[in-house]
Amino acid sequence: MAVVVGHRFPEREFYVDPVRVEEFVFALGVDPEPGYRAEIGAPVPPGFLMYVTTYGADPVHDALEFDLLRTVFGGVDEEFLAPVRLGDRLTVRPRISDITEKSGGSGRLTFVEVTTEYLLGDGTVAVRERSTIVQRG
Amino acid sequence: MTTQMSYQIGDTLPEIVTPAIDRMRIAYMTVSMRDPNLVHLEDDYAAKAGLPSVIAHGTFAVSHLGAAVSRAVGVDALTQFRVDLVAPVFPGDVLRTEATVTGVETGDGGTVVSVKLSATKADGTRVARGTAAFREPAAA
Repeated sequence: MAVVVGHRFPEREFYVDPVRVEEFVFALGVDPEPGYRAEIGAPVPPGFLMYVTTYGADPVHDALEFDLLRTVFGGVDEEFLAPVRLGDRLTVRPRISDITEKSGGSGRLTFVEVTTEYLLGDGTVAVRERSTIVQRG
Repeated sequence: MTTQMSYQIGDTLPEIVTPAIDRMRIAYMTVSMRDPNLVHLEDDYAAKAGLPSVIAHGTFAVSHLGAAVSRAVGVDALTQFRVDLVAPVFPGDVLRTEATVTGVETGDGGTVVSVKLSATKADGTRVARGTAAFREPAAA
């Protein structure tokens, strides 16, 4: 494991691009609210803001030296502290908040928790996300 | 958004039955997320991971469970949202959501409603479970 608990990735800006949200809602085929339109000022569908989407999976997974073939997304826990709107420019701040290893029937499993904060332009933390990535073997 | 005025423990939010999560939807999710993982796109690559075909992104089950809440109460009412993924979703799968009220707490900041969430395939396989909390609008 190349990184340790507490490792912080450099901050990155993420533009909440209506086009990407439109693609996301099209993929789902279910609107987050009846009559939803992915345009500037609309709320962000739950599930869109994830570090994989906003920061890019590669820098995090590369730092972990994870083999994508053995890696699955385990889950996510989000706290919504302030509204985020399409068109906002967020600062994305991921860090490695926990690494645990377990041995089970299917062999060794490594659970990595990435905690990511999303900050509005005024510095307010709008969303705090904890994602779990699981690597087998 | 308008919403039901008062939730009780045991109430359910309307279920969502998703469209089939076909390969086109999976491709769009890859594009939207800028996801580099070929396990969602190429069967040969997925086979190397021991899978019978490509798998859908975890964001499908996560977001459909989110939509089960946000369609009922509005995106802005959500305060907390957790989903654990427990089984893979394959091309063609249809998911059905369940959201059941487990708690209603009223404090100085208003009323917060807790729900438990579950997403299952047509054959009954559960693919995700979780919890959410949302603010109930003050009675008019």
